[in-house]
Amino acid sequence: MTAVPVASEPIGVRWNPRRYFGGFWRHPIARAVFKAVLTIWVTTTLTFFLIRLMPGSPVELKIDELIQTANGALTYDDAKAIASGLFAINLNAPLHEQYASFVWNLLHLDLGNSFLSAGTSVTSIILSVLPWTLFSVGTGLLLSFIAGIGLGLLAAYRRNSLLDRVVSTGGSFVSSIPNYLIALLMILFLGVQFRLINFTSMRGAYSSGTQPGFTPQFIGDIFYHAALPITIYFMTQIGHWILSMRSATLSALEEDYVTAARARGLSDGRIRSAYVGRNAVLPLVTQLAISVGFIVGGAAIIEQIFAYQGVGLRLLAAVTQRDYPVIQGIVLLTTGSVVIANLAADLLYSKLDPRIGRAGGASG
Amino acid sequence: MSTAILVRPTLGQRISGPATAALEFLRLLSQRPVGLAGFVGIVFFLLLAFVAPYFVPLQNDPSLVDIYLTPSAAHPLGTDFQGKDVLNQIVYGGQPIMIVAILAALFSTIIAITFGSIAATIGGRIDTAILAITDVTLTLPKLILLIAVAAILRPTSFVFLAVILGLLQWSSLLRQIRAQVLSLRERDYVEAARSLDLGLFHIVFREILPTMRSYIAIHFIFAMTEAMYAQVFIIFLGLVPVSGSNWGIMLYFAQGQGALFFRDSIWYILSPILAISLVQLSLVSFASALEDIFNPRLRGS
Amino acid sequence: MPVLSVRNLSIDYLTRRGPVHAVRDVSFDLEQSETLAIIGESGSGKTTLAVGLIRLSPRGTKVATGQILYTKNGQTSDIRTLDDDDLREYRWAECAMVFQAALNSFNPVITIWEQFLDTARAHGMKDRHKVRDRAAELLDLVHLDAKRVLPAFPHELSGGMKQRVLIGLALMLEPQLVILDEPTTALDILTQRSIIDLLRQLRQRLGFSMIFISHDLSIAAELADRMITMYAGRVVERASVADMFYRPRHPYSMGLLRAVPRVSGALGSVASIPGSPPDLMRLPKGCTYAPRCPYAIDACREADPPLLPVDTPRHEAACIRWQHVAGVLGSDAEVPVAEKLA
Repeated sequence: MTAVPVASEPIGVRWNPRRYFGGFWRHPIARAVFKAVLTIWVTTTLTFFLIRLMPGSPVELKIDELIQTANGALTYDDAKAIASGLFAINLNAPLHEQYASFVWNLLHLDLGNSFLSAGTSVTSIILSVLPWTLFSVGTGLLLSFIAGIGLGLLAAYRRNSLLDRVVSTGGSFVSSIPNYLIALLMILFLGVQFRLINFTSMRGAYSSGTQPGFTPQFIGDIFYHAALPITIYFMTQIGHWILSMRSATLSALEEDYVTAARARGLSDGRIRSAYVGRNAVLPLVTQLAISVGFIVGGAAIIEQIFAYQGVGLRLLAAVTQRDYPVIQGIVLLTTGSVVIANLAADLLYSKLDPRIGRAGGASG
Repeated sequence: MSTAILVRPTLGQRISGPATAALEFLRLLSQRPVGLAGFVGIVFFLLLAFVAPYFVPLQNDPSLVDIYLTPSAAHPLGTDFQGKDVLNQIVYGGQPIMIVAILAALFSTIIAITFGSIAATIGGRIDTAILAITDVTLTLPKLILLIAVAAILRPTSFVFLAVILGLLQWSSLLRQIRAQVLSLRERDYVEAARSLDLGLFHIVFREILPTMRSYIAIHFIFAMTEAMYAQVFIIFLGLVPVSGSNWGIMLYFAQGQGALFFRDSIWYILSPILAISLVQLSLVSFASALEDIFNPRLRGS
Repeated sequence: MPVLSVRNLSIDYLTRRGPVHAVRDVSFDLEQSETLAIIGESGSGKTTLAVGLIRLSPRGTKVATGQILYTKNGQTSDIRTLDDDDLREYRWAECAMVFQAALNSFNPVITIWEQFLDTARAHGMKDRHKVRDRAAELLDLVHLDAKRVLPAFPHELSGGMKQRVLIGLALMLEPQLVILDEPTTALDILTQRSIIDLLRQLRQRLGFSMIFISHDLSIAAELADRMITMYAGRVVERASVADMFYRPRHPYSMGLLRAVPRVSGALGSVASIPGSPPDLMRLPKGCTYAPRCPYAIDACREADPPLLPVDTPRHEAACIRWQHVAGVLGSDAEVPVAEKLA
């Protein structure tokens, strides 16, 4: 009996251009991009309608406000024209035209001008505060992620030990309490009751009078000012990373390939890093990008408490001042960046996990 | 094998059934001290929020002489910036918060169950549409949207607030329910039900959902924690027209009135912080214990 | 001296409700270049035994008693007493264990080449080129194209290919002993055939001793020299393959053989064994097979029968009624059990 020819079995199917269009929908990267675009479009449209069409919509309110402050000197149409200018849209045009021009401007990254300081574009306002939020949120996220997966891995390896219990319970405890409450407690105890930290000097993104630049002095200064927000972001998130990594590691440890690797005599260290660690971290990477959205939202209140001039604080200020273009701009921008972050996470995951993103698989 | 499969349960069995189940549940819970503590905490705060107001008279009169008193027999937690008793506010302040949290969680759970089941059982285009909407909602930055929506819509009633909060939360549960219903759809007892020509609703509500009870209960609790977080968030930032008094409003005033920085007024700000934190901790501990209990793999051997 | 000598090995799983006696007092010898088949149902303890032989038992398992004596070049050591470093060297260099191909035996996120490299490095082979050559050599041995297999990820290979790679990898350090756990399970029949042929070839060429564990009797018939049947954690019969197939003396072995129909010839009296294996935490007094045994008498339920030599000294069965079983079978001819009982 002849042996079954084995050497001719194909190894995976490389991405075949001929199947591109037919298999478009099945290609996970294409799907992710489409989803991202769809989300941005939905938010855009939602914001548009929220602002334009709601009874008592900001536009209407603005027109009323203008009329009132003018004490009868303005007609409705005049007020409408002024509002038009302020919102940078043509209010007399039919709705779909308004929408079209709105989207058109957006694509050119033109978000209109602020109500308060006429002439200052929303884009420039956002750009002046965005880096601070990104810096503080990003640093906190990164630190908590790295520390969290390290501790989670350790806790899983030493399951049910004192270390495990302390780390898991502690992490879970701290992340259950709302981050703004932890921030308040910090101020309350460290600042007021025990006078350990001088909070007033830590307000703002950097000390007034300091020259911005890449000097160590300036960099030290911005870390000093960002220390509190970063600490809060770190504390409230690390619990989640610890627990996720712990459970992912426990699952990975039960996998057959770990037993098989041990049977081959591989060292514990190598197994821990390349066999257990790498597999356990994979799902957490997507979570990392997704959590950006949540933190950016929660950052608003933290920035308010610590008076840190980031995007969140600016949004809140705009809300108090009824500065609708800025509100709209920030909402769109944050949604856009969250969507992009999710997309990046999907792409990153497909790069990291060789099982995804290829039209692979050989026949039995 | 018993042949008495179709015998109807006696009254005694019908009553003892749920009772023994409850006892068994408590027994399992007692094996998990953290979860038990959470359960006790939840019961305590529910009683505090819904029952205590019947026993404690409302003290709503500001008294300028009594501003920021330190704790005493008359005012166990001191007074606030208006001279009103803090403990009284804590007792009365839980109800609005808990009601909104429960309503929001209820609302989001109902949406998730309804549309998740529909998506899974009907399939096809409707499924794709629902899934697309869910995916989009899942990625939106909820708190930013909440700020914007609250600023524009200015909800005055708490029910309205609950609805808004509920609308932001249903996404992840919907996906899970859809996945579960999809997998259960293929199981034998569903096939059996289908072959007996039982209607679609029956299949979903009588056959599939009961098996997901624990799942849904756990998610409901987590949804409550999220709703509480978002609620206090939005109240603290002053984005909701403040009326009455609840824990969140206490925080808002405490910060606004500078209570943060007076040493004497510490209980005015500390009490709501502790109350909210303890409720959150209790909910999370209890839900984690539930996850542990209902996960058959982890139980026993 | 036999290559491997297992003496009175007992392994327990420690659970909250008490110890589960998964492997009870198992002993066997394996000579140089001999192939031993361990056959049993799921739950018979065969995998626990295999994994215990390289001390890879999962958490919560305890080897209660016994010795695992390994001999090489005249030197014998008890595997149970090896320290961690020696143990790691023992694993793969002396005794290689090949898991089921259907299982996730490979790390899914790194290539096959890297896994070869990891194995080589763990045993002191640092030179990449040498490892590369050796890997190519091994893959050639199992009829695979190294150029295609090495850069691939595990999910890109079929079950049969993965099994071959596992076998090739097992031979990397020229071990004296190869243990295979269910080498043909979950593979389609053509692939099974090719794997069995491959194993036979390799054994002939390289002369290693082999233990394989299965529930599939046909692979035993093809490859094994000697066989052990296990039931509820114990060895119930130990014989050469011919003796076991044509002259089983334990009711359980007979039951197993009877349950396998022949493709050609008369159907004979094919029957499955009624009942199910016992709960290993609460073993019945006396012979554990008695509840399902058609020949059990009162004496059987009094004490667990030891392994007694039957017909020949190299054929042992744990049954006090083995002569009755021989009588039921009737003849000693080289004819399937099912036919004899027809």
